Amino acid sequence: MSTAEKYLKPEVINQIKRLDLRAQFIVKGFLQGLHASPYHGFSVEFSEHRKYTPGDDPKDIDWLVYAKTDKYYVKKFEAETNITGYLVMDLSRSMGYTYRQELTKFDYSICLAAALCYLMIHQQDPVGVLTFDRKIRNSLAPKTRRGHLGNVLSLLANLQPQGETDIAKSLVQVAAMLRHASLVMVFSDLLADPEPVLESLYRLRHGGHDVILFHVLDEAETAFPFGGMVELEDPESHRRLALDADAFRRDYLAEINEFRDTYRRECFHSGIDYVPLDTSMRFDTALTEYLVTRSARG
Amino acid sequence: MTFVNFSLIAGAGLVVLPIVLHLIMRRKPKLLEFPALRFVQKRHDRNRRRLRLRHLLLLLLRAAAIALLAFALARPSVKFGGALGSQEAPVAAAMVFDSAPRMEYRHDNQTRLEAAGDLGQWLLGQLPSQSEIAVVDTRLGPAAFQIDQSAARQRIERLEAVANSQALTVVLEKALRLLGESELTHKEAYVFTDLARAAWPTDSAAALQDRIIDVPGVAVYLIDVGVSDPTNYALGELQLSGQVLSNRSSLVVDTELFRAGPEGTRSVELYLQDDEGNPQKRSEESYTLASGESRQVDFRIGSLEVGTHQGLVRIVGQDGLAADDSRHFTVEVRPAWKILVAAPQPAERHALYLSEALAPAVFRKRGQARFDCRVVELDELSEQSLSDYSAVCLLDPTPLEPAVWKKLGDFASDGGGVAVFLGRGAGKIASFNVPEAQELLPGKLLRQARRPDGDLYLAPRDYQHPVLSAFRSGAGSIPWAMFPVFRYWELEEPTGAVFSYSDGRPALLERPLGAGRVLTLTTPVSDRPDEKPWNLLPFGEAWPFGMLSHQMMLYLVGSSEQDLNYTAGQTAVLQLDADGRRRNFLLTTPGELKFPLSADPQRRVLVITGTDEVGNYRVQAGGRDSGVDRGFSVNLAPQQTELERAGEEQLAEVFGPLEYRVARTREEIERDISTGRVGRELFSPIILLVVIVLALEHFVANRFYRVK
Repeated sequence: MSTAEKYLKPEVINQIKRLDLRAQFIVKGFLQGLHASPYHGFSVEFSEHRKYTPGDDPKDIDWLVYAKTDKYYVKKFEAETNITGYLVMDLSRSMGYTYRQELTKFDYSICLAAALCYLMIHQQDPVGVLTFDRKIRNSLAPKTRRGHLGNVLSLLANLQPQGETDIAKSLVQVAAMLRHASLVMVFSDLLADPEPVLESLYRLRHGGHDVILFHVLDEAETAFPFGGMVELEDPESHRRLALDADAFRRDYLAEINEFRDTYRRECFHSGIDYVPLDTSMRFDTALTEYLVTRSARG
Repeated sequence: MTFVNFSLIAGAGLVVLPIVLHLIMRRKPKLLEFPALRFVQKRHDRNRRRLRLRHLLLLLLRAAAIALLAFALARPSVKFGGALGSQEAPVAAAMVFDSAPRMEYRHDNQTRLEAAGDLGQWLLGQLPSQSEIAVVDTRLGPAAFQIDQSAARQRIERLEAVANSQALTVVLEKALRLLGESELTHKEAYVFTDLARAAWPTDSAAALQDRIIDVPGVAVYLIDVGVSDPTNYALGELQLSGQVLSNRSSLVVDTELFRAGPEGTRSVELYLQDDEGNPQKRSEESYTLASGESRQVDFRIGSLEVGTHQGLVRIVGQDGLAADDSRHFTVEVRPAWKILVAAPQPAERHALYLSEALAPAVFRKRGQARFDCRVVELDELSEQSLSDYSAVCLLDPTPLEPAVWKKLGDFASDGGGVAVFLGRGAGKIASFNVPEAQELLPGKLLRQARRPDGDLYLAPRDYQHPVLSAFRSGAGSIPWAMFPVFRYWELEEPTGAVFSYSDGRPALLERPLGAGRVLTLTTPVSDRPDEKPWNLLPFGEAWPFGMLSHQMMLYLVGSSEQDLNYTAGQTAVLQLDADGRRRNFLLTTPGELKFPLSADPQRRVLVITGTDEVGNYRVQAGGRDSGVDRGFSVNLAPQQTELERAGEEQLAEVFGPLEYRVARTREEIERDISTGRVGRELFSPIILLVVIVLALEHFVANRFYRVK
């Protein structure tokens, strides 16, 4: 199975390709207001007509078609933009963790990234890749070629999440690297102190980048499915703790929910899209849901 | 505490198993990789402490279950008495038999005392050899160990009811004291009782409880030989209209007939003994009583001749308990007491109220008046011979010659009674404060106290004095306040107050003088209608005044103090006449036994201590015509024949926190004694405890280590 097939299953593509990412990506120009777009050189190309359905913007109705057919049709466009997307992948050892031995957090992130990458390339948006652990390890320049998807996926598939990580420092590096306002999609489990990470996210945001934070946790990390006496080991620091899992579950869940809430709250305040995910969720559904939400938000 | 399988207690050592498992064989926890350890770390310390506590609790429960199981299998038993013992070790045993007359109650053709004796004989055979045995009954006297078992057996055979039986609490205390002197470690007290309420009074319970505590290791067994629902007729105490009567008054005998058991009819008869001592039936009444009902029984006998009369009231027919079917009585009939009433001129008018109260005209005409009053003027007192009279009343005395005071004093010293009603005549205080007058009066006259508002009245507080005995039954409802006192004499340092006015100052005072006594009322009862009265005592419906003056005279003539009816065991005291020349008397008991008696010449009394036998006693001296013929009666105290049984609450109150066992049958006695000596097996409660602990362990284990 090729890399693309491994991560881009047809049903997934079908599921997400209908979504018009353009609506999200051209936020700064076309849809968000009537002022001039900060991005130069975009063009709008007519794509097809579609029957008007309630909920469509009435200004998209093609009145010429109406005059001819006495039916409402809306014009659909395919946009071209020069907005650049960056898939920023966390390469820490913890990302390689899986409780059920099916899909690691890293694999899950690659799936998400691949889908997003496909979408963007399909829309002629250049997509680049950055990976980091304690610092930025790999980078792939943004391209719009169709073949670029294969490059992205082969890069990601060959990476092994291992070693420790420093998310905050790496994100600061990312912010320093990006010259133009871009769409930065961060995939991480964020298992580090939240304050510096949030600081670096603010910094990215402050740099004019649109940030989507995909917080990917393992199913075990959100549900704590253990029972009886267990000894838990951190794969990065190798610290161990023995505990009674049943008695501890409630405390753990309270703690992890508080952690997620902190990110959700802080990201909301700073205009960052925070997408909490875990590996038990179907990533296509999760992504669709996110995109729908984002689309609705306009 | 003793163990049947002591070796099994070693099984308790198995408690180390869970401890070893906990400490050494602890299962290694499953190692799991978990990147989000940082969230675990935060709350781990608190959880670890909680976990340790739960582990410890579980460990304790498991260890406790094992230890308790080993303990239960060793079959421990506790002895409620305290000391260790076995069935065959010699014991110090006190067998206490209730020998009160109610133990004569016959059921299944056997009296309770016989039933107790049978059980006692059997129990005697059950006692280990070399045991020290004391057989104690409820008669007065010390308790002692019998020489051997056969002596104890004979002692039980000779048991008989005694009329003046002591309470079992007292006798048991005595028996326990005896047991305390024994050197044997195992001590047992067996009380053969019908569990009658009267046998276990709670007022002496404290001493008994102290004694049980003082005698360590003693086991108390109550062996119940009583009948739960007795069938019986009983006569209550006799209430006589008087023990010394005038020949002009009639004798009224009141008592109560009580029925225990189903409804039934019984006749009650009254007998009086004739000159030969043979009982002659004088009256009979028939009563039908429902279960538990009691009825008042009244007999009235008139025209008794002067002399001592004895008789009995009895229930006709047989019932369970014969001892309470008859009650005896003795009364003395004397000629009407002669009272000399001295009053100021005109004496008849002044003395009208008192003489009418003591001897009402209606009774005088019929010849039934109890007192024979003679009225004289105060001035005539000096000429009167007082020896013919039983009592002298001074109504509103004016100053008297010291010689007259002296004469009255001598009269009182010789056994006569003097009543002084102070009034307006005592204006010259000095003449009443002379030594001769003060011999009789209870204090110096001080002043007249005036209470014109009418808010002062006689206010007796208790009715213990014989003068007030007739008021006792109606105490509290006597309308003293309807008879106000406006004026009275205040005395200086008065002594001997019988009762007071409502302001607390003495109204009636008593002063003993030689063999006689003087009563002084500080307000008069002789106001003429045309005078402003000092009080309204004799006016209107003056029945309290009538009763009071009557009782005062009876007290002064010595009627109210002569007791002729006693309960068994009391010391009988017969007052002898003032001229008593005779020293030696012959006492005839109800059983026709005769004993010589000597009188106490100083006190002029005859003291008889041996009153254990119920019935009529006769005391005689000289011939039939000119000699002395007195008598008295002895009855059982009511509590000696009360069959009402004590409830568990009463026994619990008697024994307090101390343990005792009640048994009725031989099997129960055997079981109780076995339990008492060897102890009570704790297997069942401990096994129950093991089950509870295991259930708790299961719960805790499941609660803490829920399997998903």
